[in-house]
Amino acid sequence: MEPLPHLGYGLGLRPAYYEEILSTHPPVDWFEIISENYMIPGGRPLAMLERFRADYPIVMHGVSMSIASVDPLDMDYLSALKRLVDRIEPAWVSDHLAWTGVHGVNLHDLLPIPLTREALDHVVDRISRVQDYLGRRILIENASTYVSFAQSEMTEWEFLGEMARRADCLLLLDVNNVFVSSFNHGFSAEDYIDAVPVEHVTQLHMAGHTDKGSYRIDTHDQPVCEPVWKLYERARKRFGRVAAMIERDDNFPPFSELLAELQRMRDIDPAICDAAEQNAA
Amino acid sequence: MRLAELQAAFQSAVLSGAGKDPTVLASLAKPTARERATGFGVYVKAYRLRAADYLEEDFPALKSLLGDKRFDELVVDYVAANPSRSRNARYFSARLPDFMQGFEKWRGEAQAQGVAQLERALTDAFDAAEGEACALEALAAYAPQDWPRLVFAFHPSLRLLCVPAGTVELYEALSSEGAAPRPKPRDGEEAAAVWRSGFDPAYRALGTDEFLALNEALAGKSFGAICQLVAFQEDEASAPERLAQFLVNWFSDGLVVALGEGDGEEGRAAP
Repeated sequence: MEPLPHLGYGLGLRPAYYEEILSTHPPVDWFEIISENYMIPGGRPLAMLERFRADYPIVMHGVSMSIASVDPLDMDYLSALKRLVDRIEPAWVSDHLAWTGVHGVNLHDLLPIPLTREALDHVVDRISRVQDYLGRRILIENASTYVSFAQSEMTEWEFLGEMARRADCLLLLDVNNVFVSSFNHGFSAEDYIDAVPVEHVTQLHMAGHTDKGSYRIDTHDQPVCEPVWKLYERARKRFGRVAAMIERDDNFPPFSELLAELQRMRDIDPAICDAAEQNAA
Repeated sequence: MRLAELQAAFQSAVLSGAGKDPTVLASLAKPTARERATGFGVYVKAYRLRAADYLEEDFPALKSLLGDKRFDELVVDYVAANPSRSRNARYFSARLPDFMQGFEKWRGEAQAQGVAQLERALTDAFDAAEGEACALEALAAYAPQDWPRLVFAFHPSLRLLCVPAGTVELYEALSSEGAAPRPKPRDGEEAAAVWRSGFDPAYRALGTDEFLALNEALAGKSFGAICQLVAFQEDEASAPERLAQFLVNWFSDGLVVALGEGDGEEGRAAP
């Protein structure tokens, strides 16, 4: 399989910003779409996507592959996903380390899994089959979680690393999700970042979350907070010049605010990467 | 607990709203029962909040008609009875009109059911399959004596609805910016067509004879056969003129995507 391109700095493509993007052609290197929003027969969303695709690289990010579900792989879903891949020719395709339902039901949420050998074997097998079907390596993202299971046999970063090695898949590391889950479960976010295998990480997500006091929720409706920026610097130092983006899915601010968050990445990254590369040399 | 058992228990508790389900809470790692319930409660609450968001987004006029409190009741009833079976959240609300007809508490709400049917059809039209509308000039390629054999193909988004009388007018009042007066309920039914024009969903009420004609045309009947049927069922003398006007309307609305000559009374237009 061909190596994936280095894309730079991206944003989530959301209808709230369609007109502004078309009229101003902003300095964004690429856009990420929610795959399912375009897995439809026709109409405005697909027509707009083709217009954006003519001007920008696109990556496809799914929310309902349900890779960890014990239900059989949904071949209708995968077939529709493949049709969209063939139509849009994205730089890459990603989804989450999560399940969304069983027995044919879909809860439209990224549900947590016990970090067990059984779950690892199951997920590795399914990622491999999806990659074979799509004819490409996929990226799997760490989801924010609000519960962990007593029967877990390893840390989430151990699970991710083993999964990526065995399935030969790539990783989409969501820095905000690491922060949220570390708060909710009391582990070290720094230990997590330091342990994820560098060679598999292809993309970083950044987003805002909601602080509920005793726990935090991954809401994507706030600016990225300072502790997550600090963790981002650590991730950037470790993973180098991989593609990064800001996710915003609610409480949409003026587009300029998202561009300013991207600019912050562009401003801080060169010095971090240069220093890391010099140290490595 | 095996992965399959855990997922079944977790899902069952989310669907039933059992935030303190003992099987699920016993499987969690937090030291106190309160912490375990708080974490699991995030999933239980989020499921209902998301479902309510989907329904609110797809049925704004219905919400306006019922009011916040009764709409919330409808959401609770629907969510409890209709776990999503689609990977795409966009289809979660698809069964709401049928649910209202089949659920005793909502069966008597004819106006609300009509508005729900219309709004759902508009949502479906928004991202229905593509079709390129034919211009009226396409008819000029056929000599008038060939028109009786003409058959039509319609935009894939086109749906015909039978809804309680006054539904279209009520929907317009509910969707208007100002406080437009709501029409009073009327007896009987009315027909409406819903389709996509360009990128935007469109609709209009249909008279009885146009509904009949369009329904037959959608079924592949030739223009001549439709004329005969409308003449038989309606006013024979004025039928040809009315049919000609319907045809012009179908073209100008962008409903017709192909026309051709059928073999007999029935046929399909080549796309």
